[in-house]
Amino acid sequence: MASSDKTPDSMPVGAGKVPPGKPMTVGDQVIDKSAQMLQTLKPIKQMSQHVCTFAVYGHDMSRQIEAHHYITRLNQDFLQSAVYDSNEPSANLIGVEYIVSDKIFDTLPPEEQKLWHSHDHEVTSGMWVCPGVPERIQRTEFENIAHTYGKFWCTWQVDRGDRLPLGAPALMMSPQIANMGVIKPELVHVRDNKFKISTEELKKSRANIPVSNPGNARVADYWMHTGKGFAIDIEHAEMKMKEPQVEIKMVEAPKFP
Amino acid sequence: MDPIHANVVKDVPGEKTKIGTSIVDTAAATIQSFGPTKQIHQHLCAFHFYADDMTRQVEAHHYCGHLNDEVRQCLIYDRPDADARLIGVEYLVTEELFLTLPDEEKPLWHSHEYEVKSGVLFLPGVPGPVERKDLEKVAKTYGKTIHFWQVDRGDELPLGLPQVMMALTRDGQLYPNLAKDVESKYGVSFQKERENRAYMEGLAHGIHPKANAAGVGLKTVLREIDCKPSSDPPPSVPRVFV
Repeated sequence: MASSDKTPDSMPVGAGKVPPGKPMTVGDQVIDKSAQMLQTLKPIKQMSQHVCTFAVYGHDMSRQIEAHHYITRLNQDFLQSAVYDSNEPSANLIGVEYIVSDKIFDTLPPEEQKLWHSHDHEVTSGMWVCPGVPERIQRTEFENIAHTYGKFWCTWQVDRGDRLPLGAPALMMSPQIANMGVIKPELVHVRDNKFKISTEELKKSRANIPVSNPGNARVADYWMHTGKGFAIDIEHAEMKMKEPQVEIKMVEAPKFP
Repeated sequence: MDPIHANVVKDVPGEKTKIGTSIVDTAAATIQSFGPTKQIHQHLCAFHFYADDMTRQVEAHHYCGHLNDEVRQCLIYDRPDADARLIGVEYLVTEELFLTLPDEEKPLWHSHEYEVKSGVLFLPGVPGPVERKDLEKVAKTYGKTIHFWQVDRGDELPLGLPQVMMALTRDGQLYPNLAKDVESKYGVSFQKERENRAYMEGLAHGIHPKANAAGVGLKTVLREIDCKPSSDPPPSVPRVFV
């Protein structure tokens, strides 16, 4: 019915905007604003870091994207991030990534670990940046992240031309030092120009960040060990229904002579 | 018998955040701009169930922003608190846009008409008259919801595959104890809101027969594939529908 690695049927192009649709009216903006003033939006206020990095589609590693993470730390070993395709107010929400320390990762069964990717190369290569925050302030955070593993589901394949979020969620993988994990230089240049940084320079300053030893039978970055990626299919299934609410009447037990 | 819902919130495994880490987070939060997330203007509470299991129902706190007048995108959390877990995402589109979706895509989307008109979908903290102005529009939208973290089965971490979620479409689906729990937590009355919202119109063309998974169950399945870069160049222009 739907697969993360299958291109969806076309939608009418219309004006070609992504997403399609009319702009908000002033009246709607006023309603939006008045509601907003009354609500506290606590989980959103916990987002404490914007990170710009790159990701690769696990089912087609020629497709690579710039990803903007808005990260909340829940504890020393766990982060959750909302992922967008840019840092602009008009950015599309393209997915969610969860990040755990190697300590937590090692508690996961192998079947689960296969869905995760490592971050050490991403950090030491300079791919992972916090725009606007001086490197030296971020140093301890980079040392943390270099020891983490991520699980990133992409729900909107904007890079493939989807004007709305279509199809099944796709599993993403992280930049790696070799072969299909290497991020195309032109993508890095575009990012560097936008944020006035040099990934090459960052790589030098991060060269001595300690990374975790791959040992411990970790099965992250599955493609690197096996040459296999993962796609998600959405299939028909038996729907487990709710039992109808039945009123039970208590009756007197029959009396036996 | 109603199933036991995972009301007891287990902590996410891990050590408490160290002071040094916390200082870095605070510094980043102060210096950086949060363009995309500043667009999140609205907190909306509703219920989802798993697309292959209506007996598993989840209270879902949506934090939504408009991409334009016809498309919203939402982050879904398990509760409206600072330590809430990000459990999924939902996208909302107008009926007009829904109708342009490919037929294969439509079953992954659900209608909102029942949820709004029955009162079970609401904006916590927003007075009725203001809330209703926006919900009039929500009643005419379709949503696509994916959850990544099955907190209702007690998962301490986001394990397994993403799950397609569906929304309530008629009376009798929502577990009464879940409804009462939410009503008392947020001081709302679904019945009262149902009466207040009786005037609202629903979808102009009615609920599309392919929406809400066309009435069947859906599940996600993992498939291992050979990982080769595709030999075709990725499409660089939108395909034209002729």
